[in-house]
Amino acid sequence: MSVTIRRLAETDIPLVAALEAETFPDPWTAKMFVEELSQASRAWFVAEDDGLVVGYGGTAILADDDAHIMNLAVAPAHRSQGIGRRLLDTLMRAASELGAQRVTLEVRAENPVATALYESVGLESVGIRPEYYGPGRDAIIMWGDLPDAERRPVADDSGELILAIESSCDETAAAVMRGGRDLLANVVASQIDFHARFGGVVPEIASRKHTEAIVGVVDEAMEQAGEALRLDGPLSFSELDAIAVTDRPGLIGALVVGVAYAKGLAMATGKPLVGVNHLEGHIFANVFADPAVKPPLVALLVSGGHTSLVHMPEWGVYRTLGETLDDAAGEAFDKVAKVLGLGYPGGPILSKLAEKGDPAAINFPRAMMKSGDYAFSLSGLKTAVLTHIRHEEQAGREIDVPDLAASFQQAVIDVQVAKAVRAVEETGAVAFCLGGGVAANHALREALTAAIEPLGVHVSVPPMSLCTDNAAMIAAAAHYRYVHGERLGLDAEPSARGPLDTL
Amino acid sequence: MSQILLALDTATERTTVGVARLGQDELDVLGTAVVDAPRAAMSRLLPMTETLLATEHLTIADVDGVIVGRGPGSFTGVRIGVATAKGLAHGLSCPLWGVSTLDAVAWTFAYNEVTVAVVGDAMRGEVYPALYRCGGGKAERLTPDRVAKPADVAAAWAELGQPLVLTGNGLRKYAEVFTDALGDDAMIADEDLWAPWANGLFAGWLAQLSGEGRGSGDPADVLPIYTRLSDAEENERIREGLAFASPPESGVSGGEPA
Repeated sequence: MSVTIRRLAETDIPLVAALEAETFPDPWTAKMFVEELSQASRAWFVAEDDGLVVGYGGTAILADDDAHIMNLAVAPAHRSQGIGRRLLDTLMRAASELGAQRVTLEVRAENPVATALYESVGLESVGIRPEYYGPGRDAIIMWGDLPDAERRPVADDSGELILAIESSCDETAAAVMRGGRDLLANVVASQIDFHARFGGVVPEIASRKHTEAIVGVVDEAMEQAGEALRLDGPLSFSELDAIAVTDRPGLIGALVVGVAYAKGLAMATGKPLVGVNHLEGHIFANVFADPAVKPPLVALLVSGGHTSLVHMPEWGVYRTLGETLDDAAGEAFDKVAKVLGLGYPGGPILSKLAEKGDPAAINFPRAMMKSGDYAFSLSGLKTAVLTHIRHEEQAGREIDVPDLAASFQQAVIDVQVAKAVRAVEETGAVAFCLGGGVAANHALREALTAAIEPLGVHVSVPPMSLCTDNAAMIAAAAHYRYVHGERLGLDAEPSARGPLDTL
Repeated sequence: MSQILLALDTATERTTVGVARLGQDELDVLGTAVVDAPRAAMSRLLPMTETLLATEHLTIADVDGVIVGRGPGSFTGVRIGVATAKGLAHGLSCPLWGVSTLDAVAWTFAYNEVTVAVVGDAMRGEVYPALYRCGGGKAERLTPDRVAKPADVAAAWAELGQPLVLTGNGLRKYAEVFTDALGDDAMIADEDLWAPWANGLFAGWLAQLSGEGRGSGDPADVLPIYTRLSDAEENERIREGLAFASPPESGVSGGEPA
C-alpha cells in the first residue's frame, strides 16, 4: 500500500464530500468544497491510496498572515497510519509558502487523538470556543508557529535578546537571537564582488566596506527582528539585553570597525557588551542548528583563514589540539584554483570540478598524516600541485583538471579525517562538529560523517547558510558568555590573533 | 532650548573629544580632552568621553548630536572615530555629522588674519595639503582634499610668495622640507595645534550650512575621507595604465555601492 498526497482536484469532490459526511456530524457540502477551490490563498490536498481518496485537508490564509486549518479528515479504515500527520505537514508547508507565519485551528474537545497530533507539530491550546460544534460540543482553539527555520517567530518570550555584529573578514553581518537558540534576524552583506578581481580579500577594502555598510546592516537586522516578534516596527535597541561583537581573530582593520561601532552602540544604549571569538562562533553555528550537539565535543574549523582542531570538554571551555603551521585549508583551495585560472573564490569551483574527477589519479602527499599530533601543513601540498602542473606542462601533456582537483581535495580530506578521528577517540568526545567556510565542501562533510559516525559519536555539519561568516553564530556563542557574566569594557581592543584556549 | 553636542576625532595620533552646548545664537564649548599617543584611540576614546561628560555633570543620554572628524589621516585611525561615532549616534537615535579633520585644525586660526597651510601626515612619504584663508572668525578653504609628495607641495606653496602659517601633524616629519622651500614666508604654528582640538571640530561644523551642507545627519551616511584608494586598487590602476582619480565617496572603486 502506498499513500500519496496531492492537490485536491474538482473531480475529487464527490468522494471528499462523501468522506466528509461520514466523518463529521455537521458536514461541508460538495458545493462548499467547489466554492473553496475557487478562492485565493487556499491550499487543499487529498491522500490517495490506490486511486481511492482516504483523507483530505485544507487551509486558508487569513488576515495578518495567519493560516487557518479549516478541515482535516482521514477515512476510519485508514487511521493510525500517519496519513493525518502527512496531510498536516503538507498543509503547514503550503501555508508557509503562501507567506503565513502562524497557524490556528479548532478541534473537538472530545477528540484527544487529533489534539495530540496537533500538539506534536507544536500547536498549543489557547482557549475554548463553547458549543462551536453544536450543543454540548466545545472546540479547543489551537495556535502554533509554522516551521520556517529562517524566520521563526518566538514561541515563548524567555531568554535574553542579543544583537550580534560580525566584521572579522569580508562579510558585514548582524543578527538578533533570543536565548541562544531562537534566530529572529540574520543579515549578511557580502563584499565578495569587490575582492574577487584581486584573487583574495583585500584588508583595506574590507575595512572600508564594513564602515559603509554597518549601520544599514544593523538597521535591517532590527527590522527583521521586529517582524519576527510581530512588533509594529523594528525592534528597538532599548529592548535588547546585550550587544555582542566578534573581537578576535581576523583582519585587524576589519575587526576594528565592528568593535568600535559596537562599543559606541553599547555606551549609547547602556547595554552590556559581550566579546566573542570568531572560531567559537563557528562551533556555535552547529550548537544552535542542532540541539544534539553538546560537550564533550571536538570541532574541526576549516576556512580561508583557519584550520584547527578544538576540544570543548564543557560549555565555554576550549583547548586547541592543533592548527595549521602554514596555509589554511581554504587558502590552499583558493591558491590551487587561482593557478588553474578558476576564478575567485576558487574553493567551491575546485570542489565542483573534483566531483567529476578521480581522487586516486595523482598521489599527492598527505603532509603530517602520521606526525602523531594534531598539526596541519598545507603549503607542501600546494607546492606539490604547482610542481605537478609545471611538470605536465613541460612534458606537453594536457592537465586533467577534474582529476587534479579530485586528487588534491582527497589529499586534504584524508589528513583532516585522520586527525579528526584521532581527536575524537583520544578525547572521548560524544559529538563532533565541523565549522568554517570549507565546511560547505560536500566531500569533506561526507568523509567526516562516514569516518566518525560509526564510532558512536554524533556528527554535526552546519547548514550551508551558516558555513560562511555570519552573525547568527556569534549571537549563539554570545549567549553562553552573557549568561556567565563575561563583558567587554569600553576600552576593549580587538586582536588579529586569538586562539580559543581557556584551559 | 539648548542642545548638547559631542565631537570626536581620531584621524591623527591625537584622540580628541569635546562637549558643547548649542543655544539659540551661540555654541558654548563646555569642555575638551585630548590624549597624544599613537594607537591609543581604540582603548581611550570612550572612557575619555565618559569622564569628560561626567565632569560636565552630563551622561551620554544627554547628547543630542555627534560630530566626527572624517580625516583624512590614518585610515584605521579615522575608521575608529567614524565607526565609534556611528555606534553612538545610532544608539542615541541622534544625528551624526562629519567635519574634515584638516578643517578642524585650520579653524583654530579663525581669528588670525593669516593664510594657514595644513600639512596632514598621509604616511608612505606623502602628505594631505590644504590651504585656508583665516580671519574674522572664519577659515575659508582654498584647496580640495588631495594627497601629494611634501617637496611638490612645498615648491607650489613657495610660488605663492606669501607668508603661510604652517600646521598639521605632517610637520613632525617634513617641517624642514617646507621651511627650506618657503624661507622667511614660513611660520610654524605651536606644535600643540598640529592635531585637532574639539573646538576646531565645533567651529568647522558650525560653519557648514545647516541642512544640506551638513548632510542628512543619518549615521549611515557619514564616511571617512580617504583621498587614496587601497593599495590593491591603486596598483591595479597603474597596471591598467589608468590616470589617477579621487576615490568615490565609499573609498572603494568598482561594483555597486553597498
